[in-house]
Formats: sequence, C-alpha cells, structure tokens
Amino acid sequence: MKHYHTLAILFGIITIFSMGCEPDDICPETTATTPSLIIRLYDISNQSSKKNVFGLKAQGIGNDNPLTNYNVVTTDSIVLPLKTDDISTAYSLHKEYSYDDNGTPDDPTDDIIGGNEDIITLNYTTEEVYVSRACGYKTIFKNVTLTINSDGDNWIQAKESISDNQSVEDEQAAHFKLFH
Amino acid sequence: MSKQHISSYFISLILFLLLGTSIQAQNDSIISTANDSIKIKLKYGLRVGTDAGKLIRSFIDDDYSGFEVNADFRIKKTLYIAGELGIEEKTTINDYLDVTTSGAYLKAGIDYNLYKNWLDMDNMIYTGFRVGASAFSQDINSLTVYNTDQYWESQYSSNEVQTFNDLTAFWIELIVGMKVELFNNLYLGLNLQLRGLVSEVEPTNFENIFIPGFHKTFDSSAIGVGYGYTISYLIPLYKKDKN
Repeated sequence: MKHYHTLAILFGIITIFSMGCEPDDICPETTATTPSLIIRLYDISNQSSKKNVFGLKAQGIGNDNPLTNYNVVTTDSIVLPLKTDDISTAYSLHKEYSYDDNGTPDDPTDDIIGGNEDIITLNYTTEEVYVSRACGYKTIFKNVTLTINSDGDNWIQAKESISDNQSVEDEQAAHFKLFH
Repeated sequence: MSKQHISSYFISLILFLLLGTSIQAQNDSIISTANDSIKIKLKYGLRVGTDAGKLIRSFIDDDYSGFEVNADFRIKKTLYIAGELGIEEKTTINDYLDVTTSGAYLKAGIDYNLYKNWLDMDNMIYTGFRVGASAFSQDINSLTVYNTDQYWESQYSSNEVQTFNDLTAFWIELIVGMKVELFNNLYLGLNLQLRGLVSEVEPTNFENIFIPGFHKTFDSSAIGVGYGYTISYLIPLYKKDKN
C-alpha cells in the first residue's frame, strides 16, 4: 500500500508545481522596443555646436496634451514619439512659449500666446519587428523625412538628417539635426 | 524565469529522495517473506494508454486541446522501450500577441524500472529518457505593437492572420515517474519530464512560443518541463520466469 502514498504525494506535488508554473510574461523595461525620434538642436551660425532653445513647448498635432517632458523647458535635444498606426506625425515646436488668459480663463478667444511656433512633419514607412514573447512586436520607421512647415517666421532655419535615407530603428543616437 | 527552473530541479530532486526512501522501505519487508520456492511469472506485453492530464486540460482550458497515445514494451525484467505520439493545439494570448500553435509530436526512448516488485506484482517507479520531435505550425491571430511611450494612445495593431508552416523541433527528455497496476492489466501512472531543446526551425521575424510535446519555450533557456497522468492497459503477450 505504501506506493499509493507516494502516488498521492507525487500527484500533489505535480499539481502544485503546475499551478505555480505561470511565468511572468512582463516585458522588461530595459528591452528596446518601439523607438522615438531624436532631434538635436544646433547653432545656425556655428553648425558644429549645440544650442539650447528656451521655453520650448512640444505638442503633437491632433493631441490635446503637450509632451510631458517638453512643457516649456530649456533643452538642446527633443525626443518625439511617432505614431505607429500612421505614416505621418506632426509636431508643434513652440519656442519661448508664454500664455496669458487675459483675466478670463473660460474665454480662449482673447488669450495671448507668446513665442514662435513652428510645425514639423515627419513622414515615414513602418515595419513591425519581433522582440520577444512578452514584448511582442515593435515598430521601426524607415525612409523618415522631416519637413519644416513654412510660416514666414520660422525659428528653425535648417534641418539635416544624420544619414541618407534616414531610419529610426533605435534610440542610440540622434536622427535629425535642426539649426536655429 | 530561472527561479522557476531552479524550483523544478528541486522538485525532481525531492521526488528522487522520496521515491528512493520508499524503495528502501519496501525492500526490507520483501526479503524476509519472499524466499520460498514457488516460481513467479512476470507478464510481458504491450502496454497502451493515454495521457489523462491532456484530456482533462482539453476540457477545462479553452485555449488548449491535446491528445496523446503512449505505449511501452517490456524487453527485459526492468527495461522497457517506451514512446508517445500526440497532437496538441495551444493558443497563447497576452496584451500584445495572440498566437495559436498546432501540430504533432513523437517521442521514443527507454524506461528503467527501479522498483523491486513483491511476488508477481507489476508496479514501476522508473526513470528514463526520450528523444522527441515535433512538426507544427503557428498562426499569429492578432498583434499590437509594444510602445513604452503612450503619448499617442493607439498603437499599430493587426488582425490579419499570419501563418508560419513547416516548423520543427527536436529535444531530449529525462523522465521520472511511476505506474501502478490498479486492476488486472490496468495501470495508472504519473511522470515528470525535464526537457532540453536541441534544435528548432524558427519562423522569420517571430519565434516558437509553444512546441507540441515540448510545451512552452522560455526566452532565457532551452529547458522545458512537463508532466503526465497516464492510464494504460497491458495487452499481455507472454510470461517469463521472474528469475
């Protein structure tokens, strides 16, 4: 009869062991997944030196919120997430942003917004690349072009891609230079 | 992940210790009583069964269905040729992927009985190995791109089924288990399997998330684990003296 005991113990162990066997399918933060576009800002008059922009507010066109990291900041680099379900993303890059509601917070028509807003448009093709079971697929961006929408008073005066046929496949280095 | 592997190694170890001590205990009681001169015959034959665990799981788990036929054939007093043939289908779903794997597998190897039976009893506590092979296909039913940046709320997703055919995998397997004769020629068994993946054909721009017969794969290593509850019936072919 002894082996029935062993059988029962074994049965129990296997059951516990198989129940506790759901592995953590969590994508580690350190894994490189969908990359964002990285822009560095350079001085137009001295094109090898970086130059800060002051009071920068960056906001996606069609998005109600400014980018969390660029809500009126001083910086010489901008990281912009691209839409993975579209082939074009546009951003407003607003320099020396200031805002005055003119004493009427409920009435936006008389608000005074200071500074200089430029809009850039990024066009690209997307490609899905497998990462892992937990992370699934990431999107990489190919043939990325950056266009500065001309408004007669652009603070961004020139652009340059780091390589010909620019792609955005990782966040190791900048992808575009903007001169101002 | 590795924590899990460690725990499964531990369980195997504990099992060995448990089984080992019970074998010892049984031996003591045998020697004093079994020393008379009646000739004891042992049954030899083909034992055919199925994995009840897979059947039960097919009923209770919507994302799984599987069926296995297993068989062993005694070639010596303690040695059996053993094998399994089965089909499995498993759907693996998380936030970013929905994948269905289906295919067939075949395993063949040897079981060695460590248990000293009393008189003509025919129970097994065994260890053995298998060589396993599987041919299968994977379908990505849907996917959503992973993006740590949620500034743009919707991410690319696709419901277009992508099929990857002609996938194969080979592995080796260590097995420990027991089989107990409940009624005449009817056996109930259970076993634990520790597997090491030897080779696999992987789809381009994807991987084998599940391999029939091998089960879930892990990103961190080529080790897999499994278990089986078997019910089998012995078709007796001939008898041989115990010694």
